[in-house]
Amino acid sequence: MKLILSLIICLLFVNIAQADDTKYFEAMKKQIYNMDSLNTVEDFVDAANAFERIGNAEQNKWLPFYYASLCNTLASFVDTTAILKDAYLDQALKLLAIADSLQPDESEIYALKGMIAQGRLQIDPMNRYMKYGAEMSSNFQKAQQLNPKNPRPDYLIAATTFYTPEQFGGGPKAAKPMLEAAVKKFNEFIPEDELMPIWGKDHAEILLKQIPE
Amino acid sequence: MGKIIYTILLVILLPQLFFSQTKITGKITDSSSNPLPGANIYIKGSYDGVTSKEDGSYSFKTSEKGEAIIVASYVGYKTFEKNITLSKGELKLDIVLEEQVTEMNAVVISAGSFEASDEKKGVILRPLDVVTTGSDADLYSALETLPGTQMIGETEGLFVRGGSGAETVTIVDEMVVQKPFFSSVPDIPARGRFSPMLFKGTVFSTGGYSAQYGQALSSALILKSQDLATQTLSSISLMIFGLGGSHTQRWENTSLAFEGAYYNIAPYNKVFKQRTEWDKSPVGIETTLNLRHKLTKTGMLKSFFSYNYSDFSLYMPNLDNLVSKDHIKMRTDNYYLNISYRDVLGEDWSIFGGVSYSNDKDWITPNADNAESKEQLAQGKFTLTKRIIGSSFLTVGSEYQHTVYDDLYNELKSKLTENYVAGFAEADIFFTNDLAARIGLRTEYSRLLDKTNFAPRISVAYRLGSYDQLNFAYGKFYQTPEKDFLIYTQNFDYENADHYIANYQYIGEGKTFRVEVYYKNYDNLVKGTVYTYPYFDLPVVPFSNDGNGYAKGIDVFWRDSRTISNGDYWISYSYLDTKRNFRNYPSMAFPTFATPHTFSIVFKRWFEEITAIIGVTYSHATGRPYFNPNNPEFLGDRSRSFNNLSFNISYVTNVFDNFTVIFFSIDNIPGFNNIYGYRYSSDGKVSSPVLSPAMRSVFLGMFISLSKTNPYQ
Repeated sequence: MKLILSLIICLLFVNIAQADDTKYFEAMKKQIYNMDSLNTVEDFVDAANAFERIGNAEQNKWLPFYYASLCNTLASFVDTTAILKDAYLDQALKLLAIADSLQPDESEIYALKGMIAQGRLQIDPMNRYMKYGAEMSSNFQKAQQLNPKNPRPDYLIAATTFYTPEQFGGGPKAAKPMLEAAVKKFNEFIPEDELMPIWGKDHAEILLKQIPE
Repeated sequence: MGKIIYTILLVILLPQLFFSQTKITGKITDSSSNPLPGANIYIKGSYDGVTSKEDGSYSFKTSEKGEAIIVASYVGYKTFEKNITLSKGELKLDIVLEEQVTEMNAVVISAGSFEASDEKKGVILRPLDVVTTGSDADLYSALETLPGTQMIGETEGLFVRGGSGAETVTIVDEMVVQKPFFSSVPDIPARGRFSPMLFKGTVFSTGGYSAQYGQALSSALILKSQDLATQTLSSISLMIFGLGGSHTQRWENTSLAFEGAYYNIAPYNKVFKQRTEWDKSPVGIETTLNLRHKLTKTGMLKSFFSYNYSDFSLYMPNLDNLVSKDHIKMRTDNYYLNISYRDVLGEDWSIFGGVSYSNDKDWITPNADNAESKEQLAQGKFTLTKRIIGSSFLTVGSEYQHTVYDDLYNELKSKLTENYVAGFAEADIFFTNDLAARIGLRTEYSRLLDKTNFAPRISVAYRLGSYDQLNFAYGKFYQTPEKDFLIYTQNFDYENADHYIANYQYIGEGKTFRVEVYYKNYDNLVKGTVYTYPYFDLPVVPFSNDGNGYAKGIDVFWRDSRTISNGDYWISYSYLDTKRNFRNYPSMAFPTFATPHTFSIVFKRWFEEITAIIGVTYSHATGRPYFNPNNPEFLGDRSRSFNNLSFNISYVTNVFDNFTVIFFSIDNIPGFNNIYGYRYSSDGKVSSPVLSPAMRSVFLGMFISLSKTNPYQ
């Protein structure tokens, strides 16, 4: 009897201890799956806010801030006015700085830093090339160094090359072997857990299909 | 047994049974009751929350109970927190968010200035504009397409709002550049010494500039050099009149760049007909060494060194003796060094310290005479900035300049040494996001004059809407008389000017409109006769500070980079009314370096199909006064109006897999016969027009980066 009681009490405590993590895990999982259905700026802001709420409640987890930053970056890509595009990237950078402080030297964070620089560059390529072109490539390189198995920096470099005019050494032809290599890496990539980033593969495959033989 | 388990289960489940949710609803607005969509509203420490809708409304459910804190956050606004008690049912809470005063969304103090930067928002120009404007990729000629400047074809310098070229100061990394232009002879304007690619930011103030700078009655050009070079790169440049090469090495926290070029204009002058009779076409060497080192996470050490050499000679008509010609030979050696350090200390402090040294030596040989002119400037500057309340900050600093002039004319030697100290304090105060003021005071002491001055400056910016604002500025500006006067006597006071400026500015999505009115009052201008040329026969004027004058006018600027896809154009117009009595002027007169109407239009577009940027610039200015000894009215004659239409193309391509830009430019395509004025013989009987060295100038250059074309690979 006593044994059963202690057992239940034991189980109870384990449950309570795990309950928080399970709640975090489930909430994050829900939001991450939800990301596939986001289309508008409002959708992305809404998702970013949800991730930020989880991050603020947890305080010591980097992934919510990472995803909140990613959603703001995507909001910037979707928005059409230059001033707002920059404002979303400002917010993305602020959130990513929190993620960076919680998880230093994380390859995924540097890949996103590169993507934010790419967003800045796209707003005014002629004038921003000098500064943000270099910032973008140095972050992608750092992301590759930190985790050579991470397919995202490779995919982002390949996608950038895809959209770069041929005269500047870009274009679909130049991007093809890079995209193929990135897809291969995606296939070999095993995320540490279900919450770790997995995005990018679909887009890489779409781009590959667009390239004529 | 079963009972116990049941009880335990009950205890565990008890909270669940009473698990009731609270619904919270309300509306989020700013202080003017405008809805704020996209705000994040949540219960602190929980996941429960929602994003506000288009109309600012929000509604969410929470399972939290009892005492809680509700938070509302929105970019650009202060985060709202409030203690609430959660119980069953519904809670209604409308939230008003207070705007946060931050540099990001605060009004920009901008009276009198044009800023070019690729970092800041809300600036009027981008650094690339400098290279693709006009025809010669020269910083100063690009600035001449902005309102407030005059188009002076016969000499270099920025002539701003009725001011002479000597009334504009060039600042590089906070320190004065004594000789920003190559040395020149009359009627042949010299280029700026610095490549526009060296700078990441340019502030061109046409009046009312900050108390951190001084010794310029009219205008300040403030240049900030690039930080760490982005990558290791070598390049070669082949130009119509020379060749050059550069190498940049980038390490983690350091970059070092070396650049060298050799010019020889002789072959060019053989092909393209010159109106100037060159004896020896200009030959020159330019070298620069640029070191950047990141000492700490936020501290940057910058060191820039340059050496320039140039040599040329030419014949000029002697109007007093048409049989002979004057021969002028000019050789220049120029060394320039600028070392500075900037760092942020903690949250609230930032520091700047810099030293600079320049040594410029000109050998001028008019006919059989021999003249040497040497100028040395050693200076140091220190500033300390502290954040005070909110985004407001206070900057204090001081600078010291030691200048030595050595002149030799045949056997006649003269030497002049100046020690100049200045101190300044300036506060940038943000009252709200919409109202800001910069209030400064500068004090200067010149050892030569042995006099102290106090120059108050104030600039106010008030934002009207999201995109437009009003600016006002007042300032007092002092300048020590020029060396040409000081070598005769130092019994002078500072020349001074008061600026009054009001402007309206709209910077929207891709469109900029700016209109500025100003009044400038000159006082204590130096009077005296140091040269008789070109005003022969004028009575000799004793040295004094009795000169004065005024300038007033309106500057209009419109830029549109939205309407034309991949294209961009801007239009500038300046109206100027100015008169002054200075130097050996016998009376108040409209000076030779000013004209009432100046207009320019700049157009540029990126053509994807041919991978080229094409730029076209048209400029027009009404005629300027010139001195005619036969006219009883002093400076009563006007030259004909000035017109120029220039074209440039930067074509991007690959040469042996190396990223290459081919740049071609031509000015005065229609062949306007621009005459800047006339020169007269001493007796006034013979005259000759002042013309540029050639009807047109042409430039062709190829800049090859020796790197793989794709910088991402």
